[in-house]
Amino acid sequence: MKISYQWILKLSGLDWPVKEMADRLTNCGTAVEEIEPTDQYMEKVVVGAVIDLKSIKGADKIKLATVDVGSETMDLICGAPNVAVGQKVPVALLGAKLTGDFVLKKAKIRGVESCGMICSERELGISDDHSGIMVFDSDAPVGTPLADYLDFHDHQLTFELTPNRPDSMSAIGIARDAAALAGVSVRRPELDVVESSEKASDYVSVRVDDSDVCPRYAARIIKNVKICSSPWWIQKKLLVSGIRPINNIVDITNYVLLETGHPLHAFDYDRFGSKEVIVRRATKGEKFTTLDGKGHDLIPDVLLITNGKSGVAAAGVMGGLDSEVENTTANILLESAYFAPSIIRKSRKYLGFVTESSTRFEKGADPNGVVFAIDRAASLMHELCGGEVLSGIVDCYPNEIKPVTISFRPTRCNAILGTNLTTDRMKEILSSLEMEVTGEDKLIVKVPTFRPDIEREIDLIEEVARMEGWANIPDAIANVGPLFTPIHRCDSFTEETRTVLTGAGFDEIVNHGLVNSKFAKEVNPDLDQVRIVNPSSSDLDAMRNSLSLSTLVVVEHNISHRNTDLHLFEIGTAYFPPDNHHDWREDQRIALAVTGNTPNGWRRTPRPLDFYDLTGAIEHLVAHFHWPAFEYVTGEISYLEPALSFDIRIKGQVIGSIGQVAPKIARLAEIKQPVYMAEFSTTSLLEMNVPIPSFKPLPQFPAAPRDMAFVVDADVLAGDLLTAIRKAAGPLAEEVNIFDLYTGKQIEKGRKSIAVAITYRSSDRSLSGEEVDVVQDNIAVVLKKKFNAEIRDK
Amino acid sequence: MSVLDDISVLMEKAFERISQADSLAALNDVRVSFLGKKGKITAILKDLGKLPVEERRQIGAAANNARSAIERRIEEAKDHLGSGDSRTFIDPTLPGTAQPLGHVHILNQVTDDICRTFYGMGFEIAHGPDIETDYYNFEALNFPPDHPARDMQDTLFVEGERVLRTHTTPVQVRELERRKPPIKIITPGRCFRNEAISTRAHVAFTQVDGFLVDEGISVSDLKGVLVAFCKAFFGEDVKLNFRPSFFPFTEPSAEVDVSCILCGGKGCQLCKYSGWLEILGCGMIDPNVLDTVGIDSEKYTGYAFGLGVERIAMLKYKINDIRLFFNNDVRFLSQFK
Ligand SMILES: [Zn+2]
Repeated sequence: MKISYQWILKLSGLDWPVKEMADRLTNCGTAVEEIEPTDQYMEKVVVGAVIDLKSIKGADKIKLATVDVGSETMDLICGAPNVAVGQKVPVALLGAKLTGDFVLKKAKIRGVESCGMICSERELGISDDHSGIMVFDSDAPVGTPLADYLDFHDHQLTFELTPNRPDSMSAIGIARDAAALAGVSVRRPELDVVESSEKASDYVSVRVDDSDVCPRYAARIIKNVKICSSPWWIQKKLLVSGIRPINNIVDITNYVLLETGHPLHAFDYDRFGSKEVIVRRATKGEKFTTLDGKGHDLIPDVLLITNGKSGVAAAGVMGGLDSEVENTTANILLESAYFAPSIIRKSRKYLGFVTESSTRFEKGADPNGVVFAIDRAASLMHELCGGEVLSGIVDCYPNEIKPVTISFRPTRCNAILGTNLTTDRMKEILSSLEMEVTGEDKLIVKVPTFRPDIEREIDLIEEVARMEGWANIPDAIANVGPLFTPIHRCDSFTEETRTVLTGAGFDEIVNHGLVNSKFAKEVNPDLDQVRIVNPSSSDLDAMRNSLSLSTLVVVEHNISHRNTDLHLFEIGTAYFPPDNHHDWREDQRIALAVTGNTPNGWRRTPRPLDFYDLTGAIEHLVAHFHWPAFEYVTGEISYLEPALSFDIRIKGQVIGSIGQVAPKIARLAEIKQPVYMAEFSTTSLLEMNVPIPSFKPLPQFPAAPRDMAFVVDADVLAGDLLTAIRKAAGPLAEEVNIFDLYTGKQIEKGRKSIAVAITYRSSDRSLSGEEVDVVQDNIAVVLKKKFNAEIRDK
Repeated sequence: MSVLDDISVLMEKAFERISQADSLAALNDVRVSFLGKKGKITAILKDLGKLPVEERRQIGAAANNARSAIERRIEEAKDHLGSGDSRTFIDPTLPGTAQPLGHVHILNQVTDDICRTFYGMGFEIAHGPDIETDYYNFEALNFPPDHPARDMQDTLFVEGERVLRTHTTPVQVRELERRKPPIKIITPGRCFRNEAISTRAHVAFTQVDGFLVDEGISVSDLKGVLVAFCKAFFGEDVKLNFRPSFFPFTEPSAEVDVSCILCGGKGCQLCKYSGWLEILGCGMIDPNVLDTVGIDSEKYTGYAFGLGVERIAMLKYKINDIRLFFNNDVRFLSQFK
């Protein structure tokens, strides 16, 4: 909302400079977003007189104008269609800064030098009108600075109002806050309605059929108005608020709307179609044409003002075409009503309009502000349009809406705010906001109906805080609350996981979880999806049911930006809709991905990253969190290459998957290099009880290290070999590690050479060589028998 | 010249060569030429038998002394040279050879910083689901049925009568439901809104909400905590401005500006020449919210606040495009240690 700063000064009686006004209003919750001087584009612009107009050879759109600007007479080029000899016009002189960052410089057009420019309203920042130049009254004094002539030294204040404050949507409303900040009350304009002897009720009657949504409807008749443009002081206020002046009647309704916040509507009485106003909900399919010429098929959610036969206005939103005030209009039927916010909201949504009226009714107008607004408008129509105001208001207000009364405890107010305000100070604040305050220990506060947001004591406490200023509430210096603050396992788990994985060289990625449902269906064809009803983009129309979906997108993004070597992990959520077995599920998971090569360096040769880089990182986590070892069991995972995909199991339970991304999925994701991914749920891992390790005495006797090398079939699993070796070695084998793996020329095809290091140790003696030889032989026998191993060295 | 003189001259010569030797090989040469099989001291010792008996003892002792003195010098010289077979060259400007570290995502770094700061003031961390019911996201938080936030234009709805939470404040309701005051909690997490993705806006964002419910909690307590947080986070000199505002679930409510972290309040491009940066929303928990979860709003009061992690990260690290956070380009991720 935009309002004139001068207007606020006048209504509040204050003289604060504009910056102070804006800051103080902002700090009381009536936020000023922008301050714009209204005369900022009028410097070096003066009133000029057009003395002569000549056409220019070869140009039919532009003319050479001779203009008297007081200090001199100059020639300039003008292309406006409405320029004429004898006009008084705004002339921008050299150096004038006009809208659109335009600075006027000497220009030569078709050989003619031009040192000035006749301006449109848009160029001067007055309105958006650029249809022609501005033309002033013939008595405008030549040479006067434009801003002085127009009396346009003002500021446009743009307010960013909170939705709970319909009372502040007017000049009076803003001025009320400003005045209250200074401890005074707003100065409403005085009303002086001169009524004629004829009774309005002889001209019109009002019937409300749906008083639940139209609690009050008031009308006045103003006869014999003369339609013309309104005086400049009204136009100016409208222009500063960004409203186009139209004619005096329409301008007055808009002016009163800006001043009081109460929307009015003026009908052409003679074209209204009857002497009877009937307010009712529209019937389904009822036809109605709004002011803009648009036809509508209505529904009962639209409240109609009718003449008994057909609709003449969509109540509170927009008037109809047939009863609009025109230049020939003589008699006015003036409406001032209170419509319920709910019906206006539905109505404007259905009709697809947001108007100054609908916005105010939707947020909550003042049912008891109806009379002030209609009287203010009527007196202006009398004063400015020569209208005859008929006697009386035809006011249909069957059930008066009374101000609410709230009891208010000053002690409670101080307790909530943490202040020591006196009761008198609280009374002063509430009274300056036009509330009636009585009582001492417990105040009784009568809240005017223009404050529909105030219903409870806490709402009044908010008013006190707002007006006292949050800056004046002391900042506590002691901490309060519970004695002990626990750190939960899920949070320390996340933090430690990050430490371990970044330590292993993995970069953490964060995804929001919204994915493309079609892509998700390709990747996880068997998993249900959480679908978005109203996606902001078709690319983000489902929640991911595996982290891998996001990981693939991130891998693609990076590779396409030439980041081809990636170690990535994410700690995130996969989402599932309810099914026969579960409610909505949000499964916490860890995902890892590697692709490309290991880092290059002066002491290391890059090698392709693969499966074992993933399992290596996972082993870090397993070791860090003391989890039981992960088992990788060949599995069928939809998005992984069949031969290279494994279920991740822990104690027999599948918690995730690991492997190489299937070519089909990589193609879909537009990834052209091998990617290895792992993803597992942490839910069960977090629930797992990890025993606190108890100390084991350090070994007292020396270890006997031995190696053994053997050749087995290529498809024999290392895990199976290790298990067999450990079993054959018995309790003396402290550790068994594979330290060499070879396939190639020196080994028979289909076979591989494996070397293991075995550390033997006893807790109660030094082992003799013979003792260890026996065990080594035993292992060799088992390997030969079980794996067809050929022992090469031991 | 006597043999004794020869010995002392040889010893001097040996010492000189040792001090000049710049490698183990050179030291070995010294050793060989004096103490080797054909060495000069060795030759004297070999020839002892040819000497008269009375000289034999004296010269033998001198030669043996010389031998052990030279050996000792060579050993000492070895220590100075190091263990390689030539003087080892170290280039300390070469990069070390440890595994390069990965990076914690910047959003999580900032979220953690915020959480740690509040943890230091006694706030416990709590989480809730991203897919919420209308009840927790709106109704229990005092949003009227026709509030614009409940509109399809603002909120992403999920099939099955759920919404993607628009703030983490629903966790406040969930925690208030299952605990008894005093309750002092922060709730970091992902939130969503129906918005076209641009440099300034995204469908997803990260929020940290916090609240305290206990007897006698006031606006003063709220201000104290936020001032302490901002000082810890932005520096001792930061100033705060509280502007009254409106949120359905707090009353009174305010928005909080901090003095611009770049210009300190003088005005610059970052703060749009206002000197202030808006970073927080806060207020006293509306009594309706407490009553809804069954906490007596006459006995207990509470405050709540919320801040956007992306905004703080963008301000702190001068990031100019919100989309960078979710693009996860490793060239972006690796900028933040
Ligand atoms: Zn700044």
